[in-house]
Amino acid sequence: MANTVIGSTIVIDGEITGDEDLVVQGTVKGRVGLRENIMVEESGVLEANVETATITIHGTVTGDIQAAERAELKSNCRVVGDIRAPRILIADGASFKGNVDMDG
Amino acid sequence: MASSRQHSSGTVPATDGLTVIGQGIHVHGRIHGEEDLRIEGRVEGGISLTETVYIAESGVVVATIDARDVVVSGVVVGNVSATNSVSLEPGAKLVGDISAPRLIIADGAAFRGNVAMTEGGSAPPKRARTTTSRSSSSSTSTKTKTTKASRSSSSSSSTSQSRASTAKRSTPRVAAIRAPKSTARPDDEVTVIVKHAALSEEEEPKASKSTKKKAKKSPPRGRVPKPGKRRVNRR
Repeated sequence: MANTVIGSTIVIDGEITGDEDLVVQGTVKGRVGLRENIMVEESGVLEANVETATITIHGTVTGDIQAAERAELKSNCRVVGDIRAPRILIADGASFKGNVDMDG
Repeated sequence: MASSRQHSSGTVPATDGLTVIGQGIHVHGRIHGEEDLRIEGRVEGGISLTETVYIAESGVVVATIDARDVVVSGVVVGNVSATNSVSLEPGAKLVGDISAPRLIIADGAAFRGNVAMTEGGSAPPKRARTTTSRSSSSSTSTKTKTTKASRSSSSSSSTSQSRASTAKRSTPRVAAIRAPKSTARPDDEVTVIVKHAALSEEEEPKASKSTKKKAKKSPPRGRVPKPGKRRVNRR
C-alpha cells in the first residue's frame, strides 16, 4: 500500500482520517485522525489536533497531539500544544511549549 | 482491470515530491497546492491545483475540482474545471459539469453533466485588424490619387482649393495628429489631410456627415480617373 504523502506545496484545510501512514511535507490545517504513523517532515506544517498511533515530528506542529503509542519530537522541530502519549521522546534542539501527559 | 491497476500505480510511484492520498485515507475539506496530486482514497470538499490531479481507480472524489489537467480513472461527483484538459479513462465515473478547452472521454467511461469547451477572447483582435487594414488601404488609395492629381494639378487647381477647404474644416478634429506630419513632409500634406478626412468619415456619427458630404462630393469632379485607379489597385 502506498504511503499517503502531502507534498510541500499542498495545503489541506479540513479533516484527514484513515488507517495508513501519512507523510506531511506541506501544510495541513484542521484535524488529523489516523490509526497508523504520522511523519511531519522539516517542511511540514501541521496546524491541527492530531490523534494517531505514533507521530514523528521534524517540522512544525501547532495543536494538541494524542498518540496511542509514541510521540517523538526530533531536533529543530517546533511544537506548540499539549501532548498525550505513553512514550514521549524529545530530542536535543527541539522546541516545545505545552503540557505533557504520559499516563497513556 | 488488474493489469491496468498495476499500470496506473506503476506510472505514478509514491515518491517524494508527489502528493498521494492513499487508499485508506479520507480527507474532508479543501486541498490546494502547486504540484501533482494522486488520489487513491476519498476526498470530500474542494481541490484546486495548478498542476495535474489523478484520480486512481480506487479514488472517490466528492468535490469541486479546479486544476490544469484532470485525469479520472475512479469516481468523481462534482464540477470539474481545467485550464488545459480533462481526461476520463476507461472505468471512470463522473457526475458533474466539465469546463475545459480539451476533453477526452475514453471508451468505457461514464459521464453525466454539461460540457463547456469554450476558449474566450478572439473578437477584440479581429476588430483591431479590420480597422487598421481599412485605414491603410484608404491611405494608399489617397496617395495614388494625390500623385496623379498633382500631375494634372495645372488643370485642376480648383480641386486643390476645395481640398484645402476640407482641410480647414477638419483641422480642429485632427489637429494634434496632423501637425507633426505636415511639418515633416510638406509634399504629403494633402495626402495626410485626405486620409484623415476618410478616417473621420468612417468613425464619426451621422450628425457631422452633412458638412462632410459636401466636401466629399466636390473632389471627385477633379479626380476623373478614379475607377481606373481602382482597377490598378486590384491587379
